[in-house]
Amino acid sequence: MTPLLTAENLVKQYPARGGMFAEKRILTAVAGIDLELYPGETLGLAGESGCGKSTVARLLTGLTPPTSGSVKYEGRELARMSKAELAQYRKEVQMVFQDPFSSLNPRMRVAEILGEPLEIHRIGDTSGRRDKVAELLSRVGLSPEHMMRFPHEFSGGQRQRIGIARALAVAPRLIIADEPVSALDLSIQAQIINLLQDVKKDLGLSFLFITHDLSVLRHLSDRVAIMYLGRIVETGSRDQVLNRPLHPYTEALLAAIPSIDPKKRTRHVIAKGELPSPVSPPSGCPFHPRCPYAQPVCSEKRPELLEKVPGQRAACHFSEEIFLKETK
Amino acid sequence: MPPLLEIAGLRTEFRLKSGVLKAVRGVDLTVEPGETVALVGESGCGKSITAASVLRLVPPPGRIVAGAIRFKGEDLLALSEERMREIRGNRIAMVFQDPMTSLNPVFTVGYQVAEGLRIHRGLTGADAEREAVDLLTQVGIPAAQDRVKDYPHQLSGGMRQRVMIAMALACGPELVIADEPTTALDVTIQAQILELLDRLMAKNRMGLILITHNLGIVAERAHRTAIMYAGEIVESAPTAELFANPLHPYTKGLLASLPEFGTPGEKLATFAGGVPDLRGDLTGCPFKERCPVGDDACSRETIKMTEVAPGHLVRCRKVS
Repeated sequence: MTPLLTAENLVKQYPARGGMFAEKRILTAVAGIDLELYPGETLGLAGESGCGKSTVARLLTGLTPPTSGSVKYEGRELARMSKAELAQYRKEVQMVFQDPFSSLNPRMRVAEILGEPLEIHRIGDTSGRRDKVAELLSRVGLSPEHMMRFPHEFSGGQRQRIGIARALAVAPRLIIADEPVSALDLSIQAQIINLLQDVKKDLGLSFLFITHDLSVLRHLSDRVAIMYLGRIVETGSRDQVLNRPLHPYTEALLAAIPSIDPKKRTRHVIAKGELPSPVSPPSGCPFHPRCPYAQPVCSEKRPELLEKVPGQRAACHFSEEIFLKETK
Repeated sequence: MPPLLEIAGLRTEFRLKSGVLKAVRGVDLTVEPGETVALVGESGCGKSITAASVLRLVPPPGRIVAGAIRFKGEDLLALSEERMREIRGNRIAMVFQDPMTSLNPVFTVGYQVAEGLRIHRGLTGADAEREAVDLLTQVGIPAAQDRVKDYPHQLSGGMRQRVMIAMALACGPELVIADEPTTALDVTIQAQILELLDRLMAKNRMGLILITHNLGIVAERAHRTAIMYAGEIVESAPTAELFANPLHPYTKGLLASLPEFGTPGEKLATFAGGVPDLRGDLTGCPFKERCPVGDDACSRETIKMTEVAPGHLVRCRKVS
């Protein structure tokens, strides 16, 4: 199967300045990642704040141009698309944002918020658009009567439903959702997760789902990729990565999640210290200063993201020794 | 001996133009020395206002209209503001959610950590700084003698939260109230901070009220847990008992909605509707609209907390 969306050696750097007289420095938000997203699948991209996952979303949607590397949609490179192709791309790839409060224009009525993408992409006429808006509202569990209301008249969960309806308005093929449930209360979170799953199933969409919450990641993803300091450190199927991680960072992330189930609990903190600055990343493996298994080679040579078992790749010199010993 | 903290029949209201918002509607809660009590609920349930009430820091137009808050037997609501100031930050301390907005950006962290010591212990200059270095070391900040001269923006989120904890612990409080202390932090840092809080609590036999919406944290850290809904505690029990045997339909629903318990790809359990409007009078159970087992009588009767097992209290007619 050919991938729907491909990222090849994607790099994004920003200038960073210390103080007025400090030397100009470079912040590398995304340090060369490769990603493939296949039609109909949900790829979950996870990592802690500052790891570059939101920058990846911006690069993939074309909101930010990459410093180097390329994004390909159905084999065509984004940077070389014609205006018409780009318009088509922007219709077929939609985004759902984290904060349902700041991502909806407070001065627009719901009908305008949902009608705007239809207008931009010249879909339907005025009355047709109105029907479409009503249909979209029902689709996401709101009532068509809500059409004339403003965003402030809705709760956080309802606003996120509007955000999802807006993404669905132009019949997209891929939705990139950046932390779509992390701003919501628990009982509302479950409703939105269910809604995302429903639309995915009913409309046969592909999803790129960005989150820091591994229990949400496990629930929604078919495949997952774990990011650390601008790089993908591990990728594979959901069960592979989350049940038998092959990178010490994934292991540390999983161990750090507080669990209700006493059987899943690990008490010790295994990732020492803090996330290093992306302005001056550590030499060698970016995780080595925090890694409990680090060896001298880890600070000298950066491990490549290599296939360790079929379908599962990890960027660690010692995956085999640490995680695969007993199965050998 | 009276408990370390005893909240009885606490009611806190906000007089708004649109009506009187009853944010806390009769909360009872006790904390013993060395005990961690978790207060859990979704936004707007009144958990943070309960905490603010204990310190008498309810923001206007809110005010405490009924109840008692006894700290080692002494009613805090009856104290003069001056006497209250001697307790606040000294014997009862608070750790806030967001260290970026609760630290003052124009003072060094050393100065802020030692503020309580200057006010409550009369320490000055070099003595105060020495204490600050010692406190920052205790909370695991490396090279604390250099860090005391840093300003909050020079530290990472995790380090700032450690500074907040050092500030709270400066005067050796007997009770700490932590309002979502790790919500702004990443999971690997969150684990470090919770581990630190646990260790310090055990070492100093402090009582801790842990306010959070993260049920995983509660399950791992709290001795007892109280679930709040619409300004009331609807269920409270020893933590292990609560998670093994949840009885209130709201508690059950919350647990069932967690992705942790769902099957990947399958639907999560949800309950319809939203929380009731807390302005005006609520009769009967506030959860009745969303409840799968409620009936007409639930909207008429005032529901009392009932002890169904030792230490396990539930506010539900349908549980006996």
